[in-house]
Amino acid sequence: MSDTSNGANQDTVVQLHQITKVYPGVVALDRVDLAVRKNEVLGLVGENGAGKSVLMKIMIGLEQPDEGTIVLRGEQIALRNSADSIKNGIGMVFQDGSLVPNLSVTENVFLCHEADFRKVGILSLRAMRDAARELLAQMKLYINVDLPVTEISSAERQMVEIARLLWLSRQYGQENPVLILDEPTTVLADEERNRLFSILQDIKKQASIILISHRLQEILENSDRIVVLKDGRNVTEIPAAEAKLSRIEQLMVGHTFSTDRFQEDEQVTPRDREILKVENLSKAGFFEPLSFTVREREIVGLVGLVGSGKEAVCNCIAGLDKADTGDIFLGGRKLPGGSPSAAVRAGIGHIPIDRRSEGLALMMSVAENVNLLVLNHLKTAGLLSPVREKKNAQYWISECQIKTPSIGTLCANLSGGNQQKTVISKWLSSRVRLLILDHPTRGVDVGAKDEIYKLIRRLAKEGIGMLIMCDTLEEDIGLASRMLVMKDGRLVKEIDSSSHNKPAPQDIIGLIV
Amino acid sequence: MTEVSSKGGTLNWLRERFPASFAAARMWLRRFGILPQILSLAIIVGVFAIGTKGKYLSWANIQTILSLAAIPAIYAIGLHPTIILGGIDLSVQGVASLCAVFVGILLKNQYNPNDVGLWIIPISIAIGGAAGVINGLLNTGLRIPSFMATLGMSWILYGMAVLIGKAVNVQILDARIESFVAATVLGIPQIAILAVLIAVIVQMVQDRTRFGRYMYAIGGDEVIAKQAGVKVKGIKIAVFTLAGAIYGLASLLLACRLGWATSRMGAGLLFPTITAVTVGGVALTGGIGGAKNAALGALIVTALNDGLVLMQVSPYIQQAVNGVVLIAAVALTLDRKKLGFIK
Repeated sequence: MSDTSNGANQDTVVQLHQITKVYPGVVALDRVDLAVRKNEVLGLVGENGAGKSVLMKIMIGLEQPDEGTIVLRGEQIALRNSADSIKNGIGMVFQDGSLVPNLSVTENVFLCHEADFRKVGILSLRAMRDAARELLAQMKLYINVDLPVTEISSAERQMVEIARLLWLSRQYGQENPVLILDEPTTVLADEERNRLFSILQDIKKQASIILISHRLQEILENSDRIVVLKDGRNVTEIPAAEAKLSRIEQLMVGHTFSTDRFQEDEQVTPRDREILKVENLSKAGFFEPLSFTVREREIVGLVGLVGSGKEAVCNCIAGLDKADTGDIFLGGRKLPGGSPSAAVRAGIGHIPIDRRSEGLALMMSVAENVNLLVLNHLKTAGLLSPVREKKNAQYWISECQIKTPSIGTLCANLSGGNQQKTVISKWLSSRVRLLILDHPTRGVDVGAKDEIYKLIRRLAKEGIGMLIMCDTLEEDIGLASRMLVMKDGRLVKEIDSSSHNKPAPQDIIGLIV
Repeated sequence: MTEVSSKGGTLNWLRERFPASFAAARMWLRRFGILPQILSLAIIVGVFAIGTKGKYLSWANIQTILSLAAIPAIYAIGLHPTIILGGIDLSVQGVASLCAVFVGILLKNQYNPNDVGLWIIPISIAIGGAAGVINGLLNTGLRIPSFMATLGMSWILYGMAVLIGKAVNVQILDARIESFVAATVLGIPQIAILAVLIAVIVQMVQDRTRFGRYMYAIGGDEVIAKQAGVKVKGIKIAVFTLAGAIYGLASLLLACRLGWATSRMGAGLLFPTITAVTVGGVALTGGIGGAKNAALGALIVTALNDGLVLMQVSPYIQQAVNGVVLIAAVALTLDRKKLGFIK
């Protein structure tokens, strides 16, 4: 949109040029340009799945682009791994941190770069401690550098990581390093957040910062320039001073919202009978007391940012976590909290976000996975009947259109979409009454997505109530017949999303962020 | 100094003033925490002192405990770094048997004319070290879990020991190492002093060298350590080699103390060694503990067993007590780790 995104000017530190990255079935990045200039905070925004994290991984050498070039300080370079990128003065602070938990602050700051502190092979702990203290003091962080990093707050851990990255790039003689901060504020309290940003303004004098955040307000307030990504493409680049919240929201969501993708005509009207009733459920530190219901044939979309508490609510209902207060009723019967097996017995199914590790037994066959929950019904004279097992599996494989060479194929060898369909069919065959779908289309290609939407519609028709959390807001709106908006652990609004009466994404995103 | 320290008040002021003592103490307690071990030792001593009407505290008995604890302590110091890595080394019995057999063959004996004299020290260490190198290569090169690789190695080495040693008991005729093991300095058994010396050296390596630091980094989070640039494979092989070398030395000392070299010497060594390591507070999950923990663990286990003998408790009950102690120690160290880490 502006000339600087393509043509590098002399202030440019890193220039990503026409980066394309294709995963099987998905174009994650499509000719994306990104320029990072000296001494700036660059805000990078986009919905989940817009390609931000892939782009950043390419920038620090964890992923290789299929096409496109990286130009660093005027020279084209190839980054093979993260050690490469840090030598070139590009470093990233990950959401889940990259400090070794049992080592102290000092030990972490200098890990693998202790050479300067050696005397005949013996490390001078005093010198290291002093150096660490001095480094952190530059960031106005005065903590006990001998504590293991598990004993300091997440805000402090972030500072330690930033300090390490700054120090490393200085060690490698790189002026103006590039620091990538991935959702740095999700784990911080307000006060800590303000402190982080005031320190970032300080660091800006000697570095460039790429800030990724879902909280648009803080991007607006703290960046110099904002780049919006949407579906793996550059949408635009605007100086923060000229940007408005509503404009960015609109850009993030885009205009390509089509109703038919989510099989809206197939959407069924919920019955009146309640399946799930949640009353005054709360869990300290995650969400405040909230109540809601899910009816038969109803798809309820739970929307909110990561960390808004929606995952914790679902975990409590699925019995994976125990709530502090409140009750969960399924079909009028109270569930004991914190027992996944009781939840399954009552008829609650849970399709986790990480199906490879939690939803499926990958080293078991498709048939074994499909039959896993209904083994009791497949017995003849007390023993599992291979004939009935085969029959049941074949029935569901054809019902759910699972594309597998045979019923004996290992799930590990199926595509993501077919794995997901296997998980869904597992629950379908078990006659579940309430299904919690945690990002059902994460990592699934477009064609398989449509089939999963179809399956979800079918589940609803069968009378199953569903609680879904989707990858994009569009998906939530398209699939759900009602939406619950969560923000900072509170249920802030309930929005009707019945067929042909869908709310606009722009209206909802304002409630979320 | 204003932003943070002003909030914490006195505590922070103290921290600023006495960072070394304040912080070092906490650090010690966390990573090398020996307070629970000192306490359990005190309890054991107290109970048996009363139970034996003071006999337990006699100088002669204390000498016995120190001298009996020394060799298990050296074995434990050898084994514990592999646990710090997050792995384990179960090859101790095989290594001990093989070393014993070579000690029998190479030192002055009644069966053959060999007499390598004190050269047996580097030879025994080298045999153990070589076994350790193979353990490390199996673990890193072939990517076999250390648990299985070292267990397999233990039986291979034991088989070799029986084959080479022909299951003969060889009397050791060289008295130099034997008398070193038996002698005392100022009433303290020399072998106990040696064990303390080894503990101090290994602890020093752990605290003050890059090799030691990386050992803990790998145990804490191997992926992050690797990303930071730690040469994980090299460190792992080095740690297994160190472990084997220390077993080699311990096995030589053990054979000389017994006066006999036999392929059966390794039998039953593994359990007390692992017990000592875990009782000392080395978490089986990796990243926590040090040589002083391993040594202290051996002392606790020995002090306990010595007390049970003095109280004339049936040996079968003694074994059961050791089993209970092992399980309790594992439960406690694992729990401590869970409290500290959110993974």
